[in-house]
Amino acid sequence: MSTDAAAPASLLAFRYRPADGSLGRLVGDGPLPLPADELRQRPDEALARRAFVCHAHTTPGEGEADELCLVPLGDHCDILAIRTRGWQRHHGDHRRSLVDILNDLAAAVARGRLRLLDEAECARERTAGREALRFVIDDTPGLQNARQAVELLLADAGLPDIHRQRTILCISEAVTNMLVHGGGRGEMTVRRLPDRVRVVVADAGPGLNFLNWLEPPSPQGQVSMGYGYHIMLDHLDAVGLHTSPAGTTLILDRLVPAAASQPDPTQETPC
Amino acid sequence: MLTTSISPGPVPTVRLSGEMDLDCADGLRAAVEEAARGASGVVLDFGDVTFIDSSGTGIFVRLALDLKSRGTPLVARNLSPAVRSVFEMLRVRELVGDDVFAE
Repeated sequence: MSTDAAAPASLLAFRYRPADGSLGRLVGDGPLPLPADELRQRPDEALARRAFVCHAHTTPGEGEADELCLVPLGDHCDILAIRTRGWQRHHGDHRRSLVDILNDLAAAVARGRLRLLDEAECARERTAGREALRFVIDDTPGLQNARQAVELLLADAGLPDIHRQRTILCISEAVTNMLVHGGGRGEMTVRRLPDRVRVVVADAGPGLNFLNWLEPPSPQGQVSMGYGYHIMLDHLDAVGLHTSPAGTTLILDRLVPAAASQPDPTQETPC
Repeated sequence: MLTTSISPGPVPTVRLSGEMDLDCADGLRAAVEEAARGASGVVLDFGDVTFIDSSGTGIFVRLALDLKSRGTPLVARNLSPAVRSVFEMLRVRELVGDDVFAE
């Protein structure tokens, strides 16, 4: 998951913990947008005000304005650095601009809709609750089978039609991203928690750096317009993302109506 | 899985049935290209499409723009609720033009 110095745009994310001064990397492996000491000082204002702060800064020697987004989250602050380099898709390309995609991701983190997870958080969340379905998916017929099975499960969970349809759409987007960008193979698990249905889509691909969304359209058809994450972030109750050179995990949460919520047997106290 | 059937005529209709996702590119393009051969336009009937995602939508957008650039207009008709909802979500009308959705 190397970041090419000539790459047109990129997203890096870091987590700063003021208690111990640690600065961990969440997304991307490119060079720091600022010297580490300076980067540690930037969250002070956001943490003090408990408010999302976003500002432009200039990378020395490059002259291109980058965005630095600071998102205070309790005892830590997530730092998102978007390097735009002024790049945009050429006129007439109907896919979404990569900068739009990256800005959407930053805004979703700020709204709490997207949570960037470190390895420990991801391991904890992907195993929470009770496993209801599991699929290994390496082609689109596998995705189609999974959609049908999840649709039945969501109907049993009492989700209204519109939420059921949109959840299935989001699952399709997540698994399609896995097939196209995540090494072409992975696992989808559906889990029941007391208040939600959780879908975990995990691959062992090269990790998400968003630059692999730049391929030109294939001659057979447009396989990606860059809308997958936009749809997931708009239509799910919460999305968690962990990505590294060892793979990517997406955690998609849909709250279920209280009356239809099932108790989680793993949480029950024995009589 | 998406299946297609063609009703011939000066402006042939390609009737779509099933699911439109990453898998439908080759079959849909082949059906539309066959229908467009020597025709003054092509109608795509979405009445029996039960599911579409952004990949399926992207394939439709690409086809519509390709045909338009070759002077063979493509018209989308009979959008099922599932299709209409996703097309509105992705602002497809802005991408391909209002004329593609002329009734």
